[in-house]
Amino acid sequence: MNIAAPVRLPDGKADLSNFSDTSRLTHMNVNAPPILRVVDLKKTFDSFTALDSVNLTVADGEFLAIVGPSGSGKTTLIRLLVGMEEQTSGEIWLRDRRIDDVPANRRPTCMVFQSLALFPHRTVGQNIEFPLKIRGVDPAARRARALELLDLVRLPQHYYDKRIQQCSGGERQRVALARALAFDPEILFFDEPLSALDFRLRKMLEKELKDLHQRTGKTFIYITHSLEEAMVMSDRIAIMRSGRFEQLGPAEEIYAKPKSRFVAEFMGEVNLFRANGNGKSVSFEHVTVDPVAAAKSGLKPGFQGYMMARPESVRLLKPGEGADVTAKGLVESEYLLGSRVQYLVQLDSGYKATVELSRENRVTWEPGLKMGIGFDLDRTHLIQEA
Amino acid sequence: MHPSKSGRIGLYLYGVLILAFLYLPLVAIGFASVSTARYLSFPIRQYTTQWYAQALESDTVSDLLWISLQVATIVTIVSMVLGFFGALAFARYQWRFRRLYQKLILLPIFFPQSVLGLALLMWFNAIGITPTWHTAIIAHLVWIAPIATLIIAIRAYSFDPALEEAARDMGCSTWQTLREVTIPLLMPGVVSAGLFSFLLSWGNFPLSLFTTGADLTLPEWLYAKMVSGYSPLVPTVGMLSVAASIVLVALALTVPLLINRFTRKSSD
Repeated sequence: MNIAAPVRLPDGKADLSNFSDTSRLTHMNVNAPPILRVVDLKKTFDSFTALDSVNLTVADGEFLAIVGPSGSGKTTLIRLLVGMEEQTSGEIWLRDRRIDDVPANRRPTCMVFQSLALFPHRTVGQNIEFPLKIRGVDPAARRARALELLDLVRLPQHYYDKRIQQCSGGERQRVALARALAFDPEILFFDEPLSALDFRLRKMLEKELKDLHQRTGKTFIYITHSLEEAMVMSDRIAIMRSGRFEQLGPAEEIYAKPKSRFVAEFMGEVNLFRANGNGKSVSFEHVTVDPVAAAKSGLKPGFQGYMMARPESVRLLKPGEGADVTAKGLVESEYLLGSRVQYLVQLDSGYKATVELSRENRVTWEPGLKMGIGFDLDRTHLIQEA
Repeated sequence: MHPSKSGRIGLYLYGVLILAFLYLPLVAIGFASVSTARYLSFPIRQYTTQWYAQALESDTVSDLLWISLQVATIVTIVSMVLGFFGALAFARYQWRFRRLYQKLILLPIFFPQSVLGLALLMWFNAIGITPTWHTAIIAHLVWIAPIATLIIAIRAYSFDPALEEAARDMGCSTWQTLREVTIPLLMPGVVSAGLFSFLLSWGNFPLSLFTTGADLTLPEWLYAKMVSGYSPLVPTVGMLSVAASIVLVALALTVPLLINRFTRKSSD
C-alpha cells in the first residue's frame, strides 16, 4: 500500500453524534488491511473488452475517484464491484471475504446512481427508509433514522413527507445520499451523480460530499469524467483508459508527474515537447534547451519521450530575460480567467504553447505582440514514451 | 400560445361539434328507452320507465348480463396478468427473437375480428371443443391480451431500469423488487389495461358471435333483437350496458386513489 495522501482529522465542528463507531474518526487507517482488493478483474462483452485486467487496493475510509473518458470502462468497473454485472475473470475481495460471486442484494455495498433512482411513488422519508424497511427494521426506528439522516444531508425535517417530484435537483441528490447512508454500506459507490446539475450547485455539493466523507468515515468510490470534481474531493485518483488504469495516485502526483502523454493531456492544459535522445545528446522539438542546465538536471542522453510544462510553469520572456528552456513566438490571444490570465503563444516552429500568469504579471497585450516563452527545467516533468 | 379571438371561437365550435357527433346517437338511444312508442319519433308523446322495469325483471336480460360479466371479468383478469409479465419480458429482458415475437403477438389485433372469430370457431371444431361462453373467453383473449400487453409495455418502457437495480442494490430479493418497485410503478398501466380489456370484451360482438355457441352475450342479443323482433327493450338494455361501463370506469378511477390513501395511512 502506498498512499501518499495525508491522514486528515475530521473537521472539529462536524456533528458525529450519529456515528457511534468512533474508531473511524481518523480519516483513513493506512496500516489496517485494505477494505477492497480487486485482482486481475476482466470483463468482455462478446468480442469487446470493457475491462482489461484491473488491479486495485482501497484503504478503509479512503475517497477514491475513478476518472476516464466515456467508454473507458469506469461504469463497467463500478457495476462489477456492486454486483450488477458478472466478471469474465478475476477476484473481488471485501476485507477478507471474496464477494465476486455474491449477488448485488447480498453485498454490503451501495451505489448512488447517475439518475439517482429515487422511487417516484414514495415520499422522501419512505425513500430514505427503504433499505431499513427491506431489512425489517420497525417503522418507529426507521423514521427516527430517516430524520437523523435528513439532518446529516442538511435537509429540513419537514421534507420527510414531501414527494420526490416536489424536490429540486440538489435536494434529490441529498435524498439519494441519505438513502445510501441509511443502507450503511461498507463502501459507498457513486456513478457520476452530479453530472446533471448546474455548475454552482455542483461545486457546492462537491464540497459537501467531501465534508460528509470525513464526517462519516466511510469508504467512497466515485466515478466521474470530470477531473476537477475528482481533484476537489478525492484522496487518490485512478485514470482509466480503454479498460485499464493508466495511472493511480494522489491528485497532486497525477497532475505534476503524469506517467503518460494521455494522463498529462487528460489532467488539464499542458505544453508537451517531443524529446529524442540519440545516446550522446537529447534534441527537443520547438524549444531550445540550455545544454549546461540540461547536463545539471541529469537528463539522460538516451531519453525518448516528452518534456511537460504546465501553463503556470511557463513565463512570457521580456527582452534580455533568460530561462533554461526558451522559444521565440507571437502572442496570439489573451484570455482573462479571473484571478489568472492565459496567453496562447504561437512559437516560431508553429507549436501553440499555453502560458498562464497570475493577474499581477499580466502584460500589455495587443494583436501581433512578439514575446518569447521560457521555463526552468526544475518546473518540468519528463514522460518516457516511445 | 394563445389563439386569436376568431381562432378561439372556431376551436370551441369544433369541440362542440365533435361532442355532438359522439353523443347525439347515445342521447337518441336514451330517449328511445323512455318512450312508450314502439319506434322512436320526435316529439316523444309519453315518457315511461316501464322498459327499464321490464328489463330488470327479465330473466333473459339478467342471464345476458351475467354471462357478459363473467366473460369480461375473466378476460380482464387474465389479460392483466399476461400483459404484466409479457410487458416485463419485452421491456426488461434481452432475448433472441424478442422483436419478432413482439410483432407476432400484436398481429391478431390487425385481423378483421369476424375472420378471427370464424377461424377460431373452425379451430375449436377441429379439436373437438363445443363452443360455449367459455370458448368466447379464449377468443376474446386472443384479441384483447395483446392490447393489454401493449398498454402495460408502454408504461414499462418509460420507467428507469435503474430503479429496479437500486432496489436490488439495497438488498431486495427478486420478489421484493417486484412487490416494492415494479408492481407499484406499473400499476397505472395495469389498471388502464384492465379497463380497456373489460370494455373491449363487454362490448365485443364479432368474436362472440362465432364463439359463444348456444350462449348469448349482451351485444349478440341486442343484434339478434334488432334484426328480428325489435322492442324498446333494445335501447333500454343498451343504456343499462352503457351505465355499467360508466360505473366501471368510475370505479377504476377512484379505487386506486382510495387504496393509495389507505396504504399511506397504514404506513404512517
